Amino acid sequence: MEFFKKFGLAVLAGTGILAALIFYSLNIPDKRSANFVERGVMTVFAPVMKPAARVSGFFEDAWDNYLNLVGVRQENLRMRDEIKGLNARIVAAGETALANQRLERLLGMKNTLKSPVLSVSVIGEDLNSWFRTLVIDQGSSSGIAEGMAVVAADGVVGQIVKVASNTSRVLLLTDHTSGIAATIQRSRARGVVKGKGEGLCSLEFTTREEDVKVGDVVITSGIGGVFLKGIPIGEVTMVKRGEYGIFQTVIIKPLVRLAHLEEALVVLKVPND
Amino acid sequence: MIRNAVAVVALVLAVVLQTSVLPVHVAGSFKPDLLLVAMVFVALRGPVVQGALLAWVLGLIKDVFSGLYLGLNAFSFLIIFLIITSISDLLYAESGELFVVTVSAATLACVTANLILLIMLTSTPGIAYSMFAALLPHLLSNAFAASLVTLLPVFSSPQEVL
Repeated sequence: MEFFKKFGLAVLAGTGILAALIFYSLNIPDKRSANFVERGVMTVFAPVMKPAARVSGFFEDAWDNYLNLVGVRQENLRMRDEIKGLNARIVAAGETALANQRLERLLGMKNTLKSPVLSVSVIGEDLNSWFRTLVIDQGSSSGIAEGMAVVAADGVVGQIVKVASNTSRVLLLTDHTSGIAATIQRSRARGVVKGKGEGLCSLEFTTREEDVKVGDVVITSGIGGVFLKGIPIGEVTMVKRGEYGIFQTVIIKPLVRLAHLEEALVVLKVPND
Repeated sequence: MIRNAVAVVALVLAVVLQTSVLPVHVAGSFKPDLLLVAMVFVALRGPVVQGALLAWVLGLIKDVFSGLYLGLNAFSFLIIFLIITSISDLLYAESGELFVVTVSAATLACVTANLILLIMLTSTPGIAYSMFAALLPHLLSNAFAASLVTLLPVFSSPQEVL
């Protein structure tokens, strides 16, 4: 009894250690299978471990997301700036491509003209809706003079009317005061194309006997010396022959889209030359 | 001096806006006549002699950028200015509504005067049709421009302009 009081704790510890060692050694051969202790503990902890793992995962995700979010705002702002820049470049590229197409067509017209020409840009329109004039960015300092013809890729635009040193005004062929000697390309019927406002013209002084049909192309006749012969003016959209009168009514739609004109060519040839 | 400089800058801006900026963004006939609006403003709030000269100059500037006939709008503006000035003492010139109505009436008067002068002195067949076709949009856009002018600080200022 005295022995147990003196060495009890050591004996118990030794026994425990020995038991643990035996337990360990007994389980070594069957190390891949769960014994009853393992199964029991696993079974007991399973219902707790699953939700705990989910909650832990949630907090882990939340933390990760928060950490990511700190950078995402900066990244978002940077990417927005990049998108803006890219969009601007796309728009500029599209605009350049369109300008290239327009200028290419204008160059085609330039090559067909036998006189020197000057490329100009439209910088303004008439202040009133009932007059049809444009302001262009070149003037007398570039050799422009009153009376010179103005053409675009699709055909006639009008005539120079008022010239300053660095700007000029163009009287469009649709203005009420405009008149251009013209010919029907198919039948060679002659007349004068006069402006009617509202984006249309009429072919005046064409007698009833002349052969004019809807769809005919009207070109400059060269008479008068302002416009070179053969430049397209427009297309006949209506022909009306009344019972009386010696002339027929012919309405023409200009081939050039005057409302959206941006570039044009001034033929550097004074009409009296 | 500063007020005159501001007036000149405003005038240049109005012309540039009307010739180069608005036509790109505003449909065909809906072009406000900012010079006419300015002239009406001066007629209601400015001195007679300098105002008359300015009205004529405003019309002349408009002629430089419009049509072929220099002096057409200058004459119309001067006549309209004198008519408005002659009755401006009877009117409550600080009223925004009155300003819009006066600009609308001045628009009608200007188109009528232009038409009469064009028919009498020039050969512009068919111009009457174009003017009548554009009249309503022109009238509406001028009234709208006038209503915007009433929002400017200079409009609510009791001081006489010029």
